[in-house]
Amino acid sequence: MKHDITFTINGESVHLTVLSHQTLLEVIRNDLGLTGPKYGCSTGECGACSVLLDGEVVNSCLVLAPEADGAEIMTVEGLSEDDELHPLQKSFIDHHGVQCGYCAPGMLISAKALLSRTSRPHEEEIREALVGNLCRCGAYADIIKSIQVASRARR
Amino acid sequence: MVMRKTHVIGKPFPLVEAQKKLTGVSCYAGDERFGPELLHARILFSERGHARFRLRGVEAARKQEGVAALLTGRDLHTRLGAVIEDRELLAVDEVKYAGQPLAVVAAESTEAAMQALAMIQIEYERLPGVYDIESALAPNAPPVHPHMASYRGFDQVQAEPERNLAHQVAFQRGDVEKALASAAFVLDHTYTAAPLQHAPMETHGGVAQRQGKGGLIMWMHTQAPFLQREVIARALHMDPKDLRIITQCVGGSFGSKVFVSVEGLLAAIAREVDNRPVRLHLTREEEFRAVFMTPAMRARVTMGLDDQGHIVAIRAIYDWNVGASVDAFLMEMQRIALAGAGPYAIPNADIQVNAIYTHLLPAAPMRGLSIAQVHWAVEQHVDELAEMAGVSPLALRQRNLVKGGDQLFPNFVMHANGLESCVLETARAIDWQPDHQREASGAVASGKGLAMGWSPILVSPHCKSRATIQCDGENLCTVIVDGVDVGQGYYAFITQLISFELNFPIEWITVQPTDTGNYDSDWRAIYNNLLWSTGRALLQATAELKRQILSYVSEMWEEPMTNLDIVEGEVISYATKRRLSVLTLLQEGTGEGAPPVFRAAGVYEPEVKAESLDGALQSFATTGYAAEVAVNLETGDLTVLQLAGAADVGHAINPEGVKAQLKGGIIQGVSQTLLEEMRFKDGAPVTIDFMSYPIATTADMPQQIHPIVVEIPQSTGPYGARDLSNHVLVGASAAIGNAVYRATGVRIRELPITPQRIYDALQTQAKTVEGNC
Repeated sequence: MKHDITFTINGESVHLTVLSHQTLLEVIRNDLGLTGPKYGCSTGECGACSVLLDGEVVNSCLVLAPEADGAEIMTVEGLSEDDELHPLQKSFIDHHGVQCGYCAPGMLISAKALLSRTSRPHEEEIREALVGNLCRCGAYADIIKSIQVASRARR
Repeated sequence: MVMRKTHVIGKPFPLVEAQKKLTGVSCYAGDERFGPELLHARILFSERGHARFRLRGVEAARKQEGVAALLTGRDLHTRLGAVIEDRELLAVDEVKYAGQPLAVVAAESTEAAMQALAMIQIEYERLPGVYDIESALAPNAPPVHPHMASYRGFDQVQAEPERNLAHQVAFQRGDVEKALASAAFVLDHTYTAAPLQHAPMETHGGVAQRQGKGGLIMWMHTQAPFLQREVIARALHMDPKDLRIITQCVGGSFGSKVFVSVEGLLAAIAREVDNRPVRLHLTREEEFRAVFMTPAMRARVTMGLDDQGHIVAIRAIYDWNVGASVDAFLMEMQRIALAGAGPYAIPNADIQVNAIYTHLLPAAPMRGLSIAQVHWAVEQHVDELAEMAGVSPLALRQRNLVKGGDQLFPNFVMHANGLESCVLETARAIDWQPDHQREASGAVASGKGLAMGWSPILVSPHCKSRATIQCDGENLCTVIVDGVDVGQGYYAFITQLISFELNFPIEWITVQPTDTGNYDSDWRAIYNNLLWSTGRALLQATAELKRQILSYVSEMWEEPMTNLDIVEGEVISYATKRRLSVLTLLQEGTGEGAPPVFRAAGVYEPEVKAESLDGALQSFATTGYAAEVAVNLETGDLTVLQLAGAADVGHAINPEGVKAQLKGGIIQGVSQTLLEEMRFKDGAPVTIDFMSYPIATTADMPQQIHPIVVEIPQSTGPYGARDLSNHVLVGASAAIGNAVYRATGVRIRELPITPQRIYDALQTQAKTVEGNC
């Protein structure tokens, strides 16, 4: 079955015709050409496909595209404004919060959601916020540090 | 001495490609843009272990709407392998392991490809299979490769196919029997380690497109493009020069994207379609079921100690379950043999390394893991020996550890190294004390343990490493190398080195993605130890490039070259104080004719001393680990409270980058020691997602991690540096195992250390104590 849907992604409104079984991740990557959110597992275990849906972190591989009708979505591509990097992105660069980089778009989205809930999170809160984002390089310590430093810089 | 802003060696330096990765524009598997002409490939994998099989419905599937091409083993019967061709590209009649490819299809969409494969029925007739080391070695076990002697490369291995011995490497010195007979203490134990998954976050994938009649371009996410080019070309009977591999961003490899797994199938199917690009991108389940595993280990270790506290002998037999292919594990076996006695100067040693064929999916080494597993055995054994003799495990290590000048192999004298500093500094970081045993609060007991590590760095005999630098007005400074950045900071190192040597601002420097079209390198071109090999090649290239630039300006200014230097992007004359921006020089030259283009190349050719086990041994990376754990004595639950990891990197060219690698090693060490284990049922993996095969999350991190950088310069390395990333976790598991023993009094000799294993060992211990009363 086909669905006509409309949503906002990174500030831009889009209209699409999608199939019932298509995931939000497929639509974002294949129809909209935004390849920041990554395929990692398709079962919601790795967080590489994380996006913000109405301000909440979701695994876009588990959201059916028709469910996104009317929503406001943000991917990693929407973090920087006018070529100016987001403080989180800058901090990840400065503090080695990225190694192979495949998990980075999802990590940044989870971090962004955390910082909009809590402006100055403790290490424990950051660990908890990232528990659904796997990093095989094991860069967690530097990712946590990157987020802590960025949260301080924002003040 | 002029102070330089471009003095970036030994200073914090970010990954050069970090910004692209953090804005979502880096190109990983599945991200390549090819438009509507792109076809999608899918593979039919065997779900069963050893069996005879028939495919039905192949012709109907081939005619299915949207199918561009479909291949089975009957269409393309060919073998592949880098050294020994012990795998088939597509199985014919007999499946050797669950996960073996049976067919590959390219279609207009992924759905169409899946529908086509769904039309193929597989009829299996089960055959007896051997899935573990014991059953593979049992008398009358079915041989996995009865026709191995006919495979290309059979002369390169020490094999006995009829009893499933795929390859053997051995090393002896002294007289072990005699030394053990006269030793004051002799200890004999067996240690095991489970098979693991590399599990990079980016699953395997890429795009291939036929070029004209016989050529092929592949856009691949591989660590070893030259190796892959050779293996794929050979399997498809192509001239390697007709296959070009352009590397893309690699979303983690850890060794799984070195040797060819599904890439050969992508190449094969792309050659069947008419110049349209074909994409393959595995699902996570396929990645778990069908790419590579790491081999399970069984280590039987005997050590002897004299009454003076000297370890006088070691006998160690390391058996590895390499599944149905040993090809990817051959060079690792050489490293295992060299590391197999542990980081000790033991006068009598007998080390045997055996690869055992079974009907499981092919094995490939993982980032330092095999050497880490060797240390899981040796470094727990040394603790057990220390306890037996009533000495401190640290003191025993200090008395016996290998030192600079020790000659343990005929062609190799140990260099100055930081092994002792590594273990001492990690011990200090967690406040390890020799007399400290367990601390208990309620049901929870804590304890601390130590381990050391050494990991051989080999240069493979025929591999050269190349680097070319070009400076011109348009692109400023472009670098072409033959290694690949997989997140370890390789491109950052290249940028630092060039910036330092040529005194150029870092913004001028661009490292090109590695492309087999740039060099006709040997397939053994290096994919490890890149800092060393590329560093040495780059030092040649930068020296030549600097000479070219200064020579050009010397003629232009009519000043002797010895007056001139490059300082912060400007050519200056110390004599006349003239200055000229290199940028202006590149864009305008002398003002007459075309502006200059400077181009220089460097080649590093490894010196291989002899065609022997140690002939290609270049150095040892040394490490130390110290762990504090807490164990619930009622449930067996294990928490790593703190983990300190130290490595001697010679000279930390990018200190924060080194620490980032160490911290990553610490997390992977925890993950592999506590959580990871691949499990099978009738030879088919049942750990097929991150629920059944958990890897460490932020919830599994130790409360405290201590990365420690030790710097004892390596005289032959660039700036005294030594490679790190492949060796970073050696010792972590044993330190945790030794800490668990101190906390609980039970010794776990099987990896991973699960709560169940601790619980069972505690139950056995309790019964033994009762029985003794």
